[in-house]
Amino acid sequence: MTVIDILFRVDEICKKYDKYDPEKQREANAFLDDAFARLYSLVEADIEKALAVRFLFSYPFLFLFSFQTLIFQINYWNKMQKSDKVSTEKNRAAAVALSAEIRRIKARLMEEVPKLQKLAKKKVKGHSKEDHETRFDMVLALPDRIKAIPDGSTAAASESGGWGTSSSNKKVKFDSSEERFGSDFYQQTEESDQFRQEYEMRKMKQDEGLDVISEGLDTLKNIALDMNEEIDRQVPLMDEIETKVDKTTSDIRKNNVRLKKTITQIRSSRNFCIDIILLCIILGIAFYLYNALK
Amino acid sequence: MSSSDPNKLISKADKLTRLSLTRWSADWKSATLLYEQAANGFRVSKDYEKAKLAFEKASKGQEMLASPWDAAKHMESAAALAKELRNWTEVIDFYRRASELYMQCDRPQPASDSLAKAARALEDALPDDAVQLYTDACVILEDDGKEQMAFDLYRAAASIYVKLEKFTDAATFLLRLGLAADKCNARNSQCKAYLSAIIVYLYAHDLKQAEKCYNDCSQIDAFLRSDQNRCASKLLSAYTEGDVEEIKRVAQSSTISNLDNVIIKLTMVGKGKISLKLEDFGFFYILSFEFLLLLKKG
Repeated sequence: MTVIDILFRVDEICKKYDKYDPEKQREANAFLDDAFARLYSLVEADIEKALAVRFLFSYPFLFLFSFQTLIFQINYWNKMQKSDKVSTEKNRAAAVALSAEIRRIKARLMEEVPKLQKLAKKKVKGHSKEDHETRFDMVLALPDRIKAIPDGSTAAASESGGWGTSSSNKKVKFDSSEERFGSDFYQQTEESDQFRQEYEMRKMKQDEGLDVISEGLDTLKNIALDMNEEIDRQVPLMDEIETKVDKTTSDIRKNNVRLKKTITQIRSSRNFCIDIILLCIILGIAFYLYNALK
Repeated sequence: MSSSDPNKLISKADKLTRLSLTRWSADWKSATLLYEQAANGFRVSKDYEKAKLAFEKASKGQEMLASPWDAAKHMESAAALAKELRNWTEVIDFYRRASELYMQCDRPQPASDSLAKAARALEDALPDDAVQLYTDACVILEDDGKEQMAFDLYRAAASIYVKLEKFTDAATFLLRLGLAADKCNARNSQCKAYLSAIIVYLYAHDLKQAEKCYNDCSQIDAFLRSDQNRCASKLLSAYTEGDVEEIKRVAQSSTISNLDNVIIKLTMVGKGKISLKLEDFGFFYILSFEFLLLLKKG
């Protein structure tokens, strides 16, 4: 550790444990009689604190050497162990929180200023006129000093020195200026323009497809209706065919029956016997003649 | 014996039928047989004149034998051959005779069929006679109560009239078609017929008649509820406004493309002719000039 580091550390430690220092307390107590001095010292202390917090925040490494924010430092050290991105994120949140805190302090201090002004006007014994004047000047300088405490809303220049953690604060601010809001806004519409175009294109394509489908359906409908009519046309023809075919089948059956009857009549057993007897007689006569001639 | 020279067969058959001292009655049976064989022989050898003659004689023979069906069949064959020979009067005669014979058989369907065949053959040569034949055919069918078969005939007759540019007659036929369709409950054909009639009237630039026709048709429920009705009203409104773009769009819609080819052709050409007869709408002259320019361009 270098000497400078040691010096810084020692300073911070002393500042932290000032309240235990009896001499300093006596000094501070001396101011108790003087209401103005008391209040002024309080305001000064607050400004210092705010600046320190701001200072510490802007230069994270110096966190390590600040005992005033020992716990904060431990937390930050833990954060540093993690990935950079995550730590940046956390830092941003922390940055936002701290900025809000600082703004609150600033607002409170601004309220104290008019009180101080009143006190400054009062005459206090033991102080010379010059002291009085200087006191008044100091009070006048206070508002500027308070306003000068940087919080997230001031220009980027002061924060660009940081590790970019504080610059990200800009986008989520509520009380940022008009122009910046406008430029961000414009950027987004370019993207949404593209999206909108794509959407329109897809819609057109879908419409075209649907048109084709509807034409096809129209043709199908027409074909179906024509087929329907054609089939309706065929129905009576089919009925006619059916009657004609029925008539023909019955005719054929009738004819078959008659034919059968005729054939059985022709080939009846009586005729058959007569045929055989006559045949035998003829054979007998032939045999007799044959014998006679032999 | 059938493979012998058809001429010989014919002469033999003639001899059988001719009455003379030795022959007191003609022997139609065998003669008809011989005639048929001879006709077939002639047809195979592509001697159409002689074949036609043979068929005629065969048909007469069948008539004598009291079988009008066969007679009609032979007559039809004769007529087909006459068509090949482009002997139109003979075509008409033969087909008519055939149709009469069919009616004798109590068969109206083939009768109208033969008349339709005649009309088809004559479409290009004698369109007026063709239309007459179509009408007769339709009458036969309607008498028999078979209007559905008549649709095609009506449509064909209407297309002939359109070709002859007799638009009122064409529209009348289409309306008759609509009537026939109405009797058969053939709603689609009916609506298409009415739409076609309206288009024909519009093509003839008879806007009043077209509108009257449209009003008449709107009385009919089936038409009122159909796509064709919407299409017709769009077309009429576009016509009265002289809006060429709208007419083009309507003409390309599927309703119109489902109609008969002839009608579609009318709608396509009609777009160009709108401009010529817009005297009634004087302030659309400018529109007509523009449209003519468009036509000239492409």
